[in-house]
Amino acid sequence: MHGGAVTTQTTPGTTPGDPVAGTVASARKPIRVLSPLVASQIAAGEVVERPASVVKELIENALDAHGTRIVVELEQGGIELIRVTDDGQGIAEGELRLALTPHATSKVASADELEHIGTMGFRGEALASIASVSRASIRSRTPQAQGASIIEAEGDVIVAVRPASGPIGTSVTVRNIFFNTPARRKFLRTPATEQGRCAEVVREIAIAHPGVGFALIVDGRTLLDLPAGQTPRQRVLDVLGKELSPQLLEVQADSGVQSRAHAGVLTLWGLIGMPSLARGTLSGQHVALNGRVIRDRTIQHAIKEAYRGLIEPGRHPTAVLLLEMDPRGVDVNVHPAKTEVRFRDSSLVHGTVLSALRQALQGADLTASWQAESRGHAFAQGLLGPGAAGVPSGDPLPRPVVTPAVRAEEARRFVEGFKARYQSPGGSPGGYPSAQATGATSARIDFAALQAATAGATPATAPQTPELLSITPTTRPMQVHNSFLVTQDAQGMLIIDQHALHERVMFQKLLARVLGGASVPSADAPAGSAPVPQPLESQRLLTQVVVHTEPRAVEVVEHARPLLERLGIEARPLGPASVGVSSFPTFLFDRNVEVEPFVGDLLVKLAGDGWAEGSITDPAAMEGALAEVLDMMACKAAVKAGNQLSDMEVGELLATRESIERISACPHGRPTSVRLTMGDLEKLFHRG
Amino acid sequence: MKVICDRAALLEAANNVGSIIPARSPAPALSCVKLNATKAGGVGTLTLTGTDAEVSIQLALSKVDVVQPGVAVVMADKLRAILSAIDDTDATVTIELDDEQCHIKGSRSRFKLFAFPSADFPPIADLAGQSNTRASFAVPAGVLMRLIGRTAFATARETSRFAINGVLLKKDGKKLEMVATDGRRLALCRATIKEKGEEKVASTSCIIPTRALGLLQRVAHDPEVAVGVTITDNRAFFAFAEAGKEKAPQAVVSTTLVEGAFPQYDEVIPKDQDKKITAGRDDLARAIRQASVLTNEESRGVRLAFNVADKSLKLSSRAPEMGESEIELGLSGYEGENIEISFNPQFIADALKTMDEAEVLIELKAPNKPGLFKAGADFLYVVMPVNLPT
Repeated sequence: MHGGAVTTQTTPGTTPGDPVAGTVASARKPIRVLSPLVASQIAAGEVVERPASVVKELIENALDAHGTRIVVELEQGGIELIRVTDDGQGIAEGELRLALTPHATSKVASADELEHIGTMGFRGEALASIASVSRASIRSRTPQAQGASIIEAEGDVIVAVRPASGPIGTSVTVRNIFFNTPARRKFLRTPATEQGRCAEVVREIAIAHPGVGFALIVDGRTLLDLPAGQTPRQRVLDVLGKELSPQLLEVQADSGVQSRAHAGVLTLWGLIGMPSLARGTLSGQHVALNGRVIRDRTIQHAIKEAYRGLIEPGRHPTAVLLLEMDPRGVDVNVHPAKTEVRFRDSSLVHGTVLSALRQALQGADLTASWQAESRGHAFAQGLLGPGAAGVPSGDPLPRPVVTPAVRAEEARRFVEGFKARYQSPGGSPGGYPSAQATGATSARIDFAALQAATAGATPATAPQTPELLSITPTTRPMQVHNSFLVTQDAQGMLIIDQHALHERVMFQKLLARVLGGASVPSADAPAGSAPVPQPLESQRLLTQVVVHTEPRAVEVVEHARPLLERLGIEARPLGPASVGVSSFPTFLFDRNVEVEPFVGDLLVKLAGDGWAEGSITDPAAMEGALAEVLDMMACKAAVKAGNQLSDMEVGELLATRESIERISACPHGRPTSVRLTMGDLEKLFHRG
Repeated sequence: MKVICDRAALLEAANNVGSIIPARSPAPALSCVKLNATKAGGVGTLTLTGTDAEVSIQLALSKVDVVQPGVAVVMADKLRAILSAIDDTDATVTIELDDEQCHIKGSRSRFKLFAFPSADFPPIADLAGQSNTRASFAVPAGVLMRLIGRTAFATARETSRFAINGVLLKKDGKKLEMVATDGRRLALCRATIKEKGEEKVASTSCIIPTRALGLLQRVAHDPEVAVGVTITDNRAFFAFAEAGKEKAPQAVVSTTLVEGAFPQYDEVIPKDQDKKITAGRDDLARAIRQASVLTNEESRGVRLAFNVADKSLKLSSRAPEMGESEIELGLSGYEGENIEISFNPQFIADALKTMDEAEVLIELKAPNKPGLFKAGADFLYVVMPVNLPT
């Protein structure tokens, strides 16, 4: 906000020269101290962006007041009214005025306490900020008080403080948000959108506090009613939808196990979704730290990393993670909205989350199932849309009724899903490699659509049964249009993408060789031959192949030398924009992969990953980079759709399938196989 | 047009010509073979012509009775199929063009093929029409085949470095040389030809596409037949003619040349190898074959350990999770120190296959330096080693 706005925003009752306000310089106008209202409104800009941020601040206050049940009421998406009522400690009558004063708080008394903040709020800004941009009132009663008191404010003008009647606890009502800041009001979206965001905030905080009861009432309708004292699992399922239960894996970890130096610093509990639940945005991720909903890049990265190869790169896994750590290990005073935090030891956090998630994923059968599109749909609505949230059983609210219209809708969705699977749109999705430009395309499954649509899991595949059900070898697998393998297992029928599976198999083999130690899945592997990390075998070239590339890719060559060596690539800079390659992996030669384009792509990719700036020495980052490059190699080297396979090759491929970890998706994250359970088949044939 | 010809000879000719004609083409005329029946001085000739736009071939059949000269253009694959399907008891077939239909008759079978207008047939580069002749010389077919056979196997397949998709043909005075490489190995074969006085041109070289070489190998039967080679700015012509009949060659293969710069191969051929080993070709080939059994995609290399003390070679291979092999071999000669080096066994096997000498000379320097294989006085083969894990 600039000087020009200062004059227009002046409200009666302001006292010039108030020391709280900052100063704003203007070229022509004299320097003046801002009025408290303007200062407060400016501050409010950071805290109060939209109704959802008000909801968040008020719920956090209610939590800090030790409320056991918090009711959030909205009208017109919160634009008209937001009311948050708790049954907590309340505010004494004499302190009500202070509650609306900036930087007045009961939560922090000294700077030392900022070191270990145990409450949600601490800045003493929220109520004052909210009040400065709305018509707010607070009704509160402490357990000791005989009755409640109410304070009403409009902008920064306190209209009245008077006694009132009411239960123990606090109820904050915020009406006409941004009534006095038209610029901000303009940025509000439709009531439906704002309501959706408010509801999302309530759900997120509710997940983070399973012990506290929550209710969300929108325009008189109860959208969410969560009892107090739930377990985290019950709470997550109630919020996200119980039908997701078979598709969620439970995660638990304690950093003390991994790092003795930080014993007990971080504990983690979570429910993470099968790869099929991944979505295009981060909206499926809910992370709370010590009860505070946070968005943290370190954790997001760790989650993504754990799913590497299981989902397509552009998609984000579904995950609910509740983290607890000593408040001294984290700084939450980074931003007024407090969704960003700073960890003292972010690599510990990263490592704990990553390994916990990986472990859970590795133990599970992640084969994508054909089933239950409607479930996935309900899930999507459960988080974003109104009306689909879990309502606890026994609640008098009506359960969704299956009307003929709903049935028709389900039928339509099924037909479309079916079409999406069996009709190949224009090209092959996601750079799907095909050896055959024409021919088998009509039979090819659109994986992107499939991934998006396939959300169900078979009930028999509960996360508790980690071992892969082996293929029952009663019949020979069939190769369909030289692209897909069809076989059966205990649950039904498996359709396997030969390219994706082979790519995955090659990737794992390469990874095992380059990293050593990792599992080499082979049924006939001699026992006890511990793999030692070895560089890939490489063929020297008669004359070096000159790769013309960009300057930053040339810089990569020096920094990434250890990485390249492990990959069997020997390269050195020749000029500002050219690199000479003198060795190249033998297996890539075998697969007709050409030196120049491959190395060119590789270097550009590494440059993009930050290798141009310097060597990446962090072993985890190195492993990540290796995995990505090997993935690139595996993809280039794997059999393509359209390649005919001999029975032996098919047998070999399927045999390795069973033993390879994360077999359900190729390194790009597309599924390697899709299962049609007997139930699915029966459904398809209308057998009840 | 009407012609009666030897069925077997025609089939063979059709197969040779048809080998380069694309089976499916957007323009059907490109999938055709042109039959041209001519009669000169009472001697009939049926010339079959085919092309794939890059390489073209004209084969002349003399065992024919040209009843009526003329031209027929028919689908090549159908003609081949018909000729091979006709009873092989039939010694001759009759081909007759009637308007737009080509009748092919055996003793008990008749076929009617729709013919294409001869104007639709793609033009064939003609030796007579060439102006910028860079070199013209004659070489016995046997010598040419030896050069091709000892080099063509080492060309790259489908690489974007087009120049090495073909074989370099270099003529420098009486010296004729062919070189092929795929970036990991290089094969070079030399021959000396009889120089005719008039063609004292400076050294000339060109790159012949692999397809053309394959066609030359198909066509050449008689090693004594002289091949007239003409190199122009963008084409090469190979005319196979019996002595004294150069004007009417039995076969002319013509090809566009591969553009681009062939690698500077002189620099690649090592000059200072200090370990010189002589091994029996068959023994070495057998040992390589045995060792390559236990290699796989992950571990392609075979380790060769040369031991000077007992003049022996130990080959070993190791395929992770599969097994290992060890093969021993006595050497007939050894100069220099012990050395261990690894090669892709296929590369060595390829070269040994083309040799007819009893012994092969292996020259080495260091495990990360090229290995040089020699056979006879005319063959050199450079192979780059594989870096094996220690």
